[in-house]
Amino acid sequence: MKFTVPIGPQHPALKEPISLRMTLEGEVIRDADIRLGYNHRGLEKLAEEKTWLQNIYVTERICGICSHSHATCYTQGVEKLMEIEPPKRGIYLRFLVAELERVHSHLLWLGVAGHEAGFDTFFMYTWRDREVVMDILEMVSGNRVHYAINTLGGVRRDIDDLQKKKILDSLDFLRRRSEFYFKIGANEPSFVARIAGVGRLSKEDALALCAVGPTARASDISQDVRKDDPYGMYAEVPFEVATATSCDVLGRVVVRVKELMQSYNIIEFLLKNLPDGPVAVRAPRRAKPNEVVSRYEAPRGENIHYIKSNGTDKPERLKVRAPTLANYPATVVMLRNGFIADIPLIFAAIDPCICCAERAVVLVDGRSGEEKIVLMSELRKQAHERWKKAPLKKDAVWPF
Amino acid sequence: MRIAAFLPEILRHLFKKPATVDYPFQKLEVPKDFRGTPFLHPELCIVCRACVRDCPAEAIDILTVNEADKKFKMVIHNDRCIHCAQCVESCPTAPKALEMDHLFEIAAFSRWDLKKEWEYVKAQVKPKAAAGTPSAEAKS
Repeated sequence: MKFTVPIGPQHPALKEPISLRMTLEGEVIRDADIRLGYNHRGLEKLAEEKTWLQNIYVTERICGICSHSHATCYTQGVEKLMEIEPPKRGIYLRFLVAELERVHSHLLWLGVAGHEAGFDTFFMYTWRDREVVMDILEMVSGNRVHYAINTLGGVRRDIDDLQKKKILDSLDFLRRRSEFYFKIGANEPSFVARIAGVGRLSKEDALALCAVGPTARASDISQDVRKDDPYGMYAEVPFEVATATSCDVLGRVVVRVKELMQSYNIIEFLLKNLPDGPVAVRAPRRAKPNEVVSRYEAPRGENIHYIKSNGTDKPERLKVRAPTLANYPATVVMLRNGFIADIPLIFAAIDPCICCAERAVVLVDGRSGEEKIVLMSELRKQAHERWKKAPLKKDAVWPF
Repeated sequence: MRIAAFLPEILRHLFKKPATVDYPFQKLEVPKDFRGTPFLHPELCIVCRACVRDCPAEAIDILTVNEADKKFKMVIHNDRCIHCAQCVESCPTAPKALEMDHLFEIAAFSRWDLKKEWEYVKAQVKPKAAAGTPSAEAKS
Protein backbone atom coordinates (compact mmCIF):
# COMPACT_ATOMS: atom_id res chain seq x y z
CA MET A 1 0.00 0.00 0.00
CA LYS A 2 1.27 3.42 -0.94
CA PHE A 3 0.82 6.68 0.90
CA THR A 4 1.60 10.19 -0.21
CA VAL A 5 2.96 12.35 2.57
CA PRO A 6 3.26 16.08 1.98
CA ILE A 7 6.16 17.78 3.73
CA GLY A 8 6.19 21.54 3.74
CA PRO A 9 5.90 24.26 2.52
CA GLN A 10 6.11 25.06 6.22
CA HIS A 11 7.87 22.34 8.14
CA PRO A 12 10.33 22.30 11.04
CA ALA A 13 12.81 20.24 9.02
CA LEU A 14 12.95 22.86 6.28
CA LYS A 15 14.25 26.33 6.93
CA GLU A 16 12.66 27.80 3.86
CA PRO A 17 9.30 27.18 2.17
CA ILE A 18 9.31 24.31 -0.29
CA SER A 19 6.83 21.51 -0.73
CA LEU A 20 7.99 17.89 -0.96
CA ARG A 21 5.47 15.15 -1.67
CA MET A 22 6.71 11.71 -0.80
CA THR A 23 5.08 8.52 -2.02
CA LEU A 24 5.82 5.95 0.65
CA GLU A 25 5.69 2.22 1.12
CA GLY A 26 6.04 1.77 4.83
CA GLU A 27 9.18 3.69 5.78
CA VAL A 28 10.68 3.63 2.30
CA ILE A 29 10.34 6.50 -0.13
CA ARG A 30 9.27 5.21 -3.54
CA ASP A 31 8.89 8.53 -5.27
CA ALA A 32 9.37 12.18 -4.48
CA ASP A 33 7.91 15.30 -5.97
CA ILE A 34 9.31 18.75 -5.36
CA ARG A 35 7.01 21.72 -5.73
CA LEU A 36 8.33 25.23 -5.83
CA GLY A 37 6.85 28.67 -5.92
CA TYR A 38 6.33 29.59 -2.28
CA ASN A 39 9.05 32.17 -2.16
CA HIS A 40 8.71 34.04 -5.45
CA ARG A 41 9.71 37.69 -5.10
CA GLY A 42 9.86 38.96 -8.68
CA LEU A 43 13.49 40.05 -8.46
CA GLU A 44 14.15 39.56 -12.18
CA LYS A 45 11.34 41.96 -13.05
CA LEU A 46 12.56 44.40 -10.42
CA ALA A 47 16.01 44.33 -12.01
CA GLU A 48 14.53 45.65 -15.26
CA GLU A 49 13.36 48.77 -13.41
CA LYS A 50 16.74 49.64 -11.88
CA THR A 51 19.95 50.99 -13.34
CA TRP A 52 23.05 48.86 -13.89
CA LEU A 53 24.61 50.19 -10.71
CA GLN A 54 21.51 49.76 -8.52
CA ASN A 55 21.10 46.20 -9.77
CA ILE A 56 24.31 45.12 -8.02
CA TYR A 57 22.46 45.58 -4.74
CA VAL A 58 19.31 43.96 -6.09
CA THR A 59 21.14 40.82 -7.26
CA GLU A 60 23.03 40.75 -3.99
CA ARG A 61 19.71 40.37 -2.21
CA ILE A 62 18.69 37.28 -4.18
CA CYS A 63 20.26 35.26 -1.40
CA GLY A 64 21.75 35.95 1.98
CA ILE A 65 24.43 33.30 2.13
CA CYS A 66 25.72 33.49 -1.43
CA SER A 67 25.09 37.22 -1.78
CA HIS A 68 28.55 37.92 -3.16
CA SER A 69 28.18 35.10 -5.70
CA HIS A 70 25.15 36.66 -7.32
CA ALA A 71 26.55 40.18 -7.20
CA THR A 72 29.89 39.07 -8.70
CA CYS A 73 28.23 36.97 -11.38
CA TYR A 74 26.09 39.94 -12.36
CA THR A 75 28.95 42.45 -12.16
CA GLN A 76 31.37 40.48 -14.30
CA GLY A 77 28.62 40.02 -16.88
CA VAL A 78 27.87 43.74 -16.98
CA GLU A 79 31.58 44.55 -17.18
CA LYS A 80 31.73 42.39 -20.30
CA LEU A 81 28.74 44.26 -21.72
CA MET A 82 30.30 47.64 -20.96
CA GLU A 83 33.68 46.45 -22.28
CA ILE A 84 35.59 47.57 -19.20
CA GLU A 85 38.39 45.66 -17.53
CA PRO A 86 38.71 46.01 -13.75
CA PRO A 87 42.26 46.58 -12.45
CA LYS A 88 44.13 43.55 -11.19
CA ARG A 89 44.04 44.56 -7.52
CA GLY A 90 40.28 45.00 -7.80
CA ILE A 91 39.87 41.49 -9.20
CA TYR A 92 42.08 39.99 -6.49
CA LEU A 93 40.07 41.69 -3.76
CA ARG A 94 36.76 40.70 -5.35
CA PHE A 95 37.68 37.03 -5.37
CA LEU A 96 39.29 37.26 -1.94
CA VAL A 97 35.83 38.12 -0.64
CA ALA A 98 34.39 35.35 -2.85
CA GLU A 99 36.66 32.73 -1.28
CA LEU A 100 35.96 34.05 2.23
CA GLU A 101 32.29 33.69 1.42
CA ARG A 102 32.87 30.10 0.29
CA VAL A 103 34.56 29.38 3.61
CA HIS A 104 31.68 30.85 5.59
CA SER A 105 29.08 29.03 3.48
CA HIS A 106 30.81 25.65 3.80
CA LEU A 107 31.32 26.05 7.55
CA LEU A 108 27.65 26.90 7.87
CA TRP A 109 26.72 23.87 5.79
CA LEU A 110 28.94 21.55 7.83
CA GLY A 111 27.12 22.71 10.93
CA VAL A 112 23.74 22.11 9.33
CA ALA A 113 24.83 18.63 8.23
CA GLY A 114 25.91 17.86 11.79
CA HIS A 115 22.64 19.20 13.12
CA GLU A 116 20.55 17.10 10.70
CA ALA A 117 22.57 14.03 11.59
CA GLY A 118 21.92 14.64 15.28
CA PHE A 119 25.45 15.85 16.04
CA ASP A 120 24.63 19.22 17.54
CA THR A 121 28.01 19.71 19.20
CA PHE A 122 29.56 19.77 15.76
CA PHE A 123 26.97 22.33 14.71
CA MET A 124 27.87 24.61 17.63
CA TYR A 125 31.61 24.36 16.98
CA THR A 126 31.50 25.03 13.25
CA TRP A 127 29.16 27.95 13.71
CA ARG A 128 31.42 29.43 16.35
CA ASP A 129 34.38 29.12 13.98
CA ARG A 130 32.31 30.64 11.22
CA GLU A 131 32.10 33.83 13.28
CA VAL A 132 35.83 34.30 12.62
CA VAL A 133 35.17 34.49 8.87
CA MET A 134 32.14 36.70 9.41
CA ASP A 135 34.30 39.10 11.42
CA ILE A 136 36.88 39.20 8.63
CA LEU A 137 34.16 39.91 6.09
CA GLU A 138 32.72 42.65 8.29
CA MET A 139 36.17 44.18 8.66
CA VAL A 140 36.90 44.06 4.93
CA SER A 141 33.53 45.12 3.57
CA GLY A 142 31.65 46.84 6.40
CA ASN A 143 28.87 44.32 6.83
CA ARG A 144 28.41 40.70 7.85
CA VAL A 145 25.98 39.48 5.22
CA HIS A 146 25.60 41.86 2.30
CA TYR A 147 29.20 42.82 1.64
CA ALA A 148 28.39 45.28 -1.17
CA ILE A 149 32.05 45.31 -2.15
CA ASN A 150 31.45 45.00 -5.88
CA THR A 151 31.03 47.93 -8.15
CA LEU A 152 31.05 48.14 -11.92
CA GLY A 153 34.72 48.21 -12.84
CA GLY A 154 36.24 46.78 -9.67
CA VAL A 155 35.63 46.86 -5.94
CA ARG A 156 34.65 49.68 -3.61
CA ARG A 157 37.13 49.21 -0.80
CA ASP A 158 40.82 48.56 -0.48
CA ILE A 159 42.47 46.62 2.31
CA ASP A 160 45.52 47.74 4.25
CA ASP A 161 48.46 45.79 5.70
CA LEU A 162 46.90 45.53 9.14
CA GLN A 163 43.77 43.90 7.74
CA LYS A 164 45.91 41.63 5.59
CA LYS A 165 47.80 40.46 8.65
CA LYS A 166 44.58 39.93 10.60
CA ILE A 167 43.13 37.77 7.82
CA LEU A 168 46.29 35.65 7.64
CA ASP A 169 46.26 35.16 11.42
CA SER A 170 42.61 34.12 11.41
CA LEU A 171 43.35 31.80 8.51
CA ASP A 172 45.78 29.83 10.67
CA PHE A 173 43.08 29.27 13.26
CA LEU A 174 40.49 28.27 10.65
CA ARG A 175 42.89 25.88 8.96
CA ARG A 176 43.65 24.19 12.26
CA ARG A 177 39.96 23.82 13.04
CA SER A 178 39.11 22.45 9.59
CA GLU A 179 41.88 19.89 9.85
CA PHE A 180 40.42 18.87 13.19
CA TYR A 181 36.97 18.44 11.63
CA PHE A 182 38.46 16.39 8.83
CA LYS A 183 40.06 14.16 11.45
CA ILE A 184 36.80 13.89 13.36
CA GLY A 185 35.08 12.71 10.20
CA ALA A 186 37.55 9.86 9.95
CA ASN A 187 37.50 9.01 13.65
CA GLU A 188 33.95 9.46 14.87
CA PRO A 189 32.17 6.22 13.88
CA SER A 190 28.66 7.32 14.90
CA PHE A 191 28.72 10.41 12.69
CA VAL A 192 30.16 8.54 9.71
CA ALA A 193 27.68 5.68 10.12
CA ARG A 194 24.80 8.14 10.03
CA ILE A 195 25.84 9.85 6.79
CA ALA A 196 27.50 7.03 4.83
CA GLY A 197 25.34 5.40 2.16
CA VAL A 198 22.56 7.96 2.58
CA GLY A 199 21.24 9.74 -0.50
CA ARG A 200 23.09 7.85 -3.17
CA LEU A 201 23.56 9.58 -6.50
CA SER A 202 25.56 7.58 -9.03
CA LYS A 203 27.98 9.26 -11.39
CA GLU A 204 25.73 8.49 -14.39
CA ASP A 205 22.68 9.99 -12.68
CA ALA A 206 24.57 13.08 -11.59
CA LEU A 207 25.73 13.62 -15.17
CA ALA A 208 22.30 12.92 -16.69
CA LEU A 209 20.48 15.18 -14.24
CA CYS A 210 23.02 18.01 -14.54
CA ALA A 211 23.93 18.17 -10.86
CA VAL A 212 26.30 21.02 -10.04
CA GLY A 213 28.79 22.01 -7.37
CA PRO A 214 29.68 19.83 -4.39
CA THR A 215 26.72 17.53 -5.17
CA ALA A 216 28.27 16.62 -8.52
CA ARG A 217 31.82 16.58 -7.18
CA ALA A 218 30.79 14.11 -4.46
CA SER A 219 29.67 11.80 -7.29
CA ASP A 220 33.20 11.80 -8.70
CA ILE A 221 32.61 14.40 -11.41
CA SER A 222 35.50 16.82 -11.52
CA GLN A 223 33.50 19.86 -12.48
CA ASP A 224 34.28 23.37 -11.31
CA VAL A 225 33.76 26.58 -13.26
CA ARG A 226 36.87 28.02 -11.65
CA LYS A 227 38.89 25.29 -13.39
CA ASP A 228 36.84 24.54 -16.51
CA ASP A 229 36.13 28.10 -17.60
CA PRO A 230 38.39 30.29 -15.45
CA TYR A 231 37.05 33.75 -14.77
CA GLY A 232 38.75 36.59 -12.92
CA MET A 233 42.24 35.52 -11.88
CA TYR A 234 41.50 31.82 -11.26
CA ALA A 235 43.64 30.80 -14.25
CA GLU A 236 46.76 31.93 -12.35
CA VAL A 237 45.81 30.55 -8.93
CA PRO A 238 46.99 27.03 -8.10
CA PHE A 239 44.23 24.90 -6.60
CA GLU A 240 42.71 21.47 -7.00
CA VAL A 241 39.11 20.49 -7.60
CA ALA A 242 38.01 18.46 -4.58
CA THR A 243 36.12 15.30 -5.44
CA ALA A 244 34.89 12.23 -3.58
CA THR A 245 33.94 8.82 -4.90
CA SER A 246 31.42 7.65 -2.31
CA CYS A 247 28.42 9.33 -4.06
CA ASP A 248 26.53 9.90 -0.78
CA VAL A 249 26.13 12.49 1.97
CA LEU A 250 29.48 11.44 3.41
CA GLY A 251 31.08 12.31 0.07
CA ARG A 252 29.42 15.72 0.15
CA VAL A 253 30.84 16.38 3.61
CA VAL A 254 34.32 15.30 2.50
CA VAL A 255 34.16 17.46 -0.63
CA ARG A 256 33.19 20.51 1.37
CA VAL A 257 35.91 20.07 3.97
CA LYS A 258 38.48 19.56 1.21
CA GLU A 259 37.17 22.67 -0.53
CA LEU A 260 37.61 24.61 2.70
CA MET A 261 41.30 23.69 2.64
CA GLN A 262 41.59 24.74 -1.01
CA SER A 263 39.87 28.02 -0.22
CA TYR A 264 42.34 28.76 2.59
CA ASN A 265 45.18 28.18 0.15
CA ILE A 266 43.57 30.44 -2.44
CA ILE A 267 43.02 33.21 0.14
CA GLU A 268 46.64 32.95 1.23
CA PHE A 269 47.83 33.07 -2.37
CA LEU A 270 45.66 36.11 -3.13
CA LEU A 271 46.87 38.00 -0.06
CA LYS A 272 50.54 37.20 -0.64
CA ASN A 273 50.41 38.12 -4.34
CA LEU A 274 48.14 41.14 -4.01
CA PRO A 275 49.23 43.53 -6.78
CA ASP A 276 49.48 47.27 -6.20
CA GLY A 277 47.42 49.85 -7.99
CA PRO A 278 43.89 51.16 -8.11
CA VAL A 279 40.95 48.96 -7.12
CA ALA A 280 38.41 50.23 -9.62
CA VAL A 281 38.01 52.00 -12.95
CA ARG A 282 35.20 54.33 -13.91
CA ALA A 283 32.24 52.60 -15.50
CA PRO A 284 29.92 54.14 -18.07
CA ARG A 285 26.25 54.53 -17.17
CA ARG A 286 24.98 52.85 -20.34
CA ALA A 287 25.77 49.61 -22.11
CA LYS A 288 25.54 48.95 -25.86
CA PRO A 289 22.81 46.55 -27.02
CA ASN A 290 24.23 43.10 -26.49
CA GLU A 291 23.76 39.99 -24.43
CA VAL A 292 26.06 38.04 -22.16
CA VAL A 293 26.10 34.85 -20.11
CA SER A 294 28.14 35.02 -16.94
CA ARG A 295 29.22 31.88 -15.08
CA TYR A 296 30.44 31.75 -11.51
CA GLU A 297 31.24 28.93 -9.12
CA ALA A 298 29.13 29.73 -6.08
CA PRO A 299 29.63 27.70 -2.87
CA ARG A 300 26.65 25.56 -3.93
CA GLY A 301 27.59 25.12 -7.57
CA GLU A 302 27.49 26.86 -10.88
CA ASN A 303 25.60 30.12 -10.89
CA ILE A 304 24.53 31.54 -14.25
CA HIS A 305 23.33 35.04 -15.03
CA TYR A 306 22.04 35.93 -18.48
CA ILE A 307 22.01 39.68 -19.06
CA LYS A 308 20.64 41.52 -22.07
CA SER A 309 21.14 45.22 -22.64
CA ASN A 310 19.33 47.55 -25.01
CA GLY A 311 21.51 50.64 -25.01
CA THR A 312 19.88 52.34 -22.02
CA ASP A 313 21.07 52.51 -18.42
CA LYS A 314 18.81 49.60 -17.43
CA PRO A 315 18.99 45.93 -18.38
CA GLU A 316 16.41 44.60 -20.81
CA ARG A 317 16.43 41.19 -19.18
CA LEU A 318 18.21 39.50 -16.31
CA LYS A 319 17.84 35.76 -15.88
CA VAL A 320 19.30 34.01 -12.87
CA ARG A 321 19.89 30.27 -12.73
CA ALA A 322 20.82 29.53 -9.14
CA PRO A 323 22.73 26.31 -8.36
CA THR A 324 19.98 24.96 -6.10
CA LEU A 325 17.57 24.83 -9.02
CA ALA A 326 20.01 22.67 -10.99
CA ASN A 327 20.28 20.25 -8.08
CA TYR A 328 16.55 19.58 -7.59
CA PRO A 329 16.22 16.80 -10.22
CA ALA A 330 19.18 15.01 -8.64
CA THR A 331 17.57 15.36 -5.19
CA VAL A 332 14.53 13.38 -6.34
CA VAL A 333 16.83 10.50 -7.33
CA MET A 334 18.71 10.77 -4.03
CA LEU A 335 15.48 10.59 -2.04
CA ARG A 336 14.15 7.57 -3.96
CA ASN A 337 14.52 4.29 -2.02
CA GLY A 338 15.71 6.13 1.06
CA PHE A 339 13.97 6.37 4.41
CA ILE A 340 11.72 9.11 5.77
CA ALA A 341 14.24 9.81 8.51
CA ASP A 342 16.86 10.63 5.87
CA ILE A 343 14.80 13.33 4.13
CA PRO A 344 16.21 16.32 6.07
CA LEU A 345 19.75 15.00 5.76
CA ILE A 346 19.52 14.36 2.02
CA PHE A 347 17.76 17.60 1.40
CA ALA A 348 20.24 19.56 3.47
CA ALA A 349 23.11 17.88 1.62
CA ILE A 350 22.46 19.81 -1.59
CA ASP A 351 22.62 22.96 0.55
CA PRO A 352 19.27 24.16 -0.73
CA CYS A 353 18.71 27.87 -0.98
CA ILE A 354 15.07 28.28 -1.79
CA CYS A 355 15.17 32.02 -2.07
CA CYS A 356 17.86 31.69 -4.75
CA ALA A 357 15.86 29.24 -6.78
CA GLU A 358 12.36 30.65 -6.86
CA ARG A 359 11.85 32.00 -10.33
CA ALA A 360 8.52 30.78 -11.78
CA VAL A 361 4.87 30.48 -10.80
CA VAL A 362 3.38 27.01 -11.31
CA LEU A 363 -0.16 26.20 -10.22
CA VAL A 364 -1.07 22.70 -9.12
CA ASP A 365 -4.59 21.38 -9.51
CA GLY A 366 -5.31 19.57 -6.26
CA ARG A 367 -7.87 17.15 -7.70
CA SER A 368 -6.36 16.03 -11.00
CA GLY A 369 -2.76 16.81 -10.10
CA GLU A 370 -2.37 18.86 -13.26
CA GLU A 371 0.24 21.57 -13.29
CA LYS A 372 0.21 24.66 -15.38
CA ILE A 373 2.03 27.94 -15.62
CA VAL A 374 -0.36 30.87 -15.57
CA LEU A 375 -0.12 34.57 -16.15
CA MET A 376 -1.12 37.09 -13.52
CA SER A 377 -3.88 38.48 -15.79
CA GLU A 378 -5.30 34.97 -16.24
CA LEU A 379 -5.31 34.45 -12.50
CA ARG A 380 -7.10 37.73 -11.98
CA LYS A 381 -9.74 36.81 -14.58
CA GLN A 382 -10.34 33.48 -12.89
CA ALA A 383 -10.67 35.18 -9.53
CA HIS A 384 -13.22 37.66 -10.88
CA GLU A 385 -15.32 34.89 -12.43
CA ARG A 386 -15.26 32.89 -9.27
CA TRP A 387 -16.28 35.86 -7.22
CA LYS A 388 -19.27 36.55 -9.51
CA LYS A 389 -20.55 33.00 -9.17
CA ALA A 390 -20.00 32.79 -5.41
CA PRO A 391 -23.15 32.98 -3.23
CA LEU A 392 -23.56 36.01 -0.99
CA LYS A 393 -22.29 35.38 2.53
CA LYS A 394 -25.20 36.33 4.78
CA ASP A 395 -23.65 35.62 8.15
CA ALA A 396 -20.42 37.47 7.48
CA VAL A 397 -19.69 40.16 10.07
CA TRP A 398 -17.22 43.00 10.23
CA PRO A 399 -14.48 41.93 12.61
CA PHE A 400 -14.64 44.98 14.89
CA MET B 1 38.33 4.32 14.16
CA ARG B 2 38.07 5.35 17.74
CA ILE B 3 34.96 5.61 19.86
CA ALA B 4 34.06 9.14 21.03
CA ALA B 5 36.88 10.97 19.27
CA PHE B 6 35.10 14.21 19.98
CA LEU B 7 35.07 13.68 23.75
CA PRO B 8 38.43 15.33 24.66
CA GLU B 9 37.40 18.43 22.70
CA ILE B 10 34.06 18.59 24.50
CA LEU B 11 35.73 18.18 27.92
CA ARG B 12 38.20 20.94 27.12
CA HIS B 13 35.34 23.27 26.30
CA LEU B 14 33.78 22.75 29.72
CA PHE B 15 36.44 25.05 31.15
CA LYS B 16 36.34 27.70 28.47
CA LYS B 17 34.53 31.00 28.55
CA PRO B 18 31.40 31.23 26.35
CA ALA B 19 32.05 32.33 22.76
CA THR B 20 29.15 34.78 22.91
CA VAL B 21 28.99 38.12 24.73
CA ASP B 22 26.38 39.19 27.26
CA TYR B 23 24.72 41.36 24.64
CA PRO B 24 22.55 44.12 26.06
CA PHE B 25 25.07 44.72 28.84
CA GLN B 26 28.21 44.20 26.85
CA LYS B 27 28.45 45.28 23.24
CA LEU B 28 30.79 44.19 20.50
CA GLU B 29 32.78 46.88 18.82
CA VAL B 30 32.09 47.32 15.14
CA PRO B 31 35.01 47.73 12.71
CA LYS B 32 35.95 51.25 11.70
CA ASP B 33 34.57 50.88 8.17
CA PHE B 34 31.22 49.55 9.37
CA ARG B 35 28.27 50.62 7.27
CA GLY B 36 25.66 51.99 9.63
CA THR B 37 23.08 54.60 8.69
CA PRO B 38 23.74 57.48 6.28
CA PHE B 39 23.63 61.04 7.58
CA LEU B 40 24.17 64.43 5.99
CA HIS B 41 26.57 67.28 6.64
CA PRO B 42 24.11 69.97 5.48
CA GLU B 43 26.77 72.63 5.00
CA LEU B 44 28.55 70.53 2.35
CA CYS B 45 25.66 69.40 0.12
CA ILE B 46 25.66 70.94 -3.36
CA VAL B 47 22.27 69.40 -4.33
CA CYS B 48 23.63 67.46 -7.32
CA ARG B 49 21.16 64.65 -6.57
CA ALA B 50 23.71 61.91 -7.37
CA CYS B 51 22.67 60.07 -4.20
CA VAL B 52 19.00 60.23 -5.16
CA ARG B 53 19.80 58.85 -8.61
CA ASP B 54 21.99 55.97 -7.42
CA CYS B 55 20.16 54.83 -4.28
CA PRO B 56 18.92 51.31 -5.07
CA ALA B 57 16.20 51.50 -2.42
CA GLU B 58 14.93 54.97 -3.38
CA ALA B 59 15.43 55.96 0.23
CA ILE B 60 16.72 59.50 -0.36
CA ASP B 61 14.58 62.48 -1.40
CA ILE B 62 15.76 66.03 -1.97
CA LEU B 63 12.88 68.47 -1.91
CA THR B 64 12.99 72.12 -2.90
CA VAL B 65 11.81 74.36 -0.08
CA ASN B 66 12.52 77.71 -1.69
CA GLU B 67 14.11 78.01 -5.11
CA ALA B 68 15.05 81.70 -4.73
CA ASP B 69 16.85 81.27 -1.39
CA LYS B 70 18.37 77.97 -2.60
CA LYS B 71 16.81 76.22 0.34
CA PHE B 72 16.48 72.46 0.11
CA LYS B 73 15.37 69.62 2.31
CA MET B 74 16.90 66.15 2.30
CA VAL B 75 14.82 63.27 3.64
CA ILE B 76 16.45 59.91 4.28
CA HIS B 77 13.89 57.15 4.72
CA ASN B 78 15.79 54.77 6.95
CA ASP B 79 12.93 52.28 6.83
CA ARG B 80 13.81 51.72 3.18
CA CYS B 81 17.58 52.11 3.49
CA ILE B 82 19.53 48.92 2.76
CA HIS B 83 22.80 50.31 4.19
CA CYS B 84 24.83 49.74 1.03
CA ALA B 85 26.57 53.14 1.28
CA GLN B 86 26.21 53.75 -2.46
CA CYS B 87 25.07 57.31 -1.65
CA VAL B 88 28.38 57.99 0.09
CA GLU B 89 30.19 56.47 -2.89
CA SER B 90 28.27 58.65 -5.35
CA CYS B 91 28.67 61.89 -3.38
CA PRO B 92 31.04 64.10 -5.41
CA THR B 93 31.98 66.75 -2.82
CA ALA B 94 35.54 66.76 -1.50
CA PRO B 95 34.85 66.08 2.15
CA LYS B 96 31.80 63.88 1.55
CA ALA B 97 28.49 65.51 2.39
CA LEU B 98 27.01 62.11 3.13
CA GLU B 99 28.61 59.77 5.60
CA MET B 100 27.79 56.49 7.35
CA ASP B 101 27.63 56.31 11.14
CA HIS B 102 28.48 53.29 13.27
CA LEU B 103 25.11 52.67 14.88
CA PHE B 104 23.61 49.24 14.57
CA GLU B 105 20.79 49.41 17.11
CA ILE B 106 18.38 51.35 14.96
CA ALA B 107 15.08 49.61 15.63
CA ALA B 108 12.05 51.85 16.15
CA PHE B 109 8.39 51.37 17.00
CA SER B 110 7.14 53.06 13.86
CA ARG B 111 8.66 53.37 10.41
CA TRP B 112 7.99 57.12 10.56
CA ASP B 113 10.34 57.44 13.51
CA LEU B 114 13.12 56.29 11.21
CA LYS B 115 12.72 59.22 8.84
CA LYS B 116 15.48 61.81 9.10
CA GLU B 117 15.30 65.33 7.68
CA TRP B 118 17.76 68.15 7.10
CA GLU B 119 16.83 71.60 5.86
CA TYR B 120 19.74 73.59 4.51
CA VAL B 121 21.00 76.16 2.05
CA LYS B 122 22.80 74.77 -1.00
CA ALA B 123 26.57 74.92 -0.66
CA GLN B 124 28.70 76.67 -3.26
CA VAL B 125 30.37 74.36 -5.76
CA LYS B 126 34.09 74.83 -5.26
CA PRO B 127 36.14 74.87 -8.47
CA LYS B 128 38.50 71.94 -8.78
CA ALA B 129 42.12 72.66 -7.87
CA ALA B 130 43.44 71.27 -11.18
CA ALA B 131 40.88 72.99 -13.39
CA GLY B 132 40.65 76.32 -11.60
CA THR B 133 43.00 79.19 -12.32
CA PRO B 134 44.80 80.83 -9.35
CA SER B 135 42.47 83.84 -9.52
CA ALA B 136 39.38 81.61 -9.38
CA GLU B 137 40.78 79.85 -6.37
CA ALA B 138 41.47 83.15 -4.65
CA LYS B 139 37.85 84.18 -5.18
CA SER B 140 36.47 80.99 -3.65
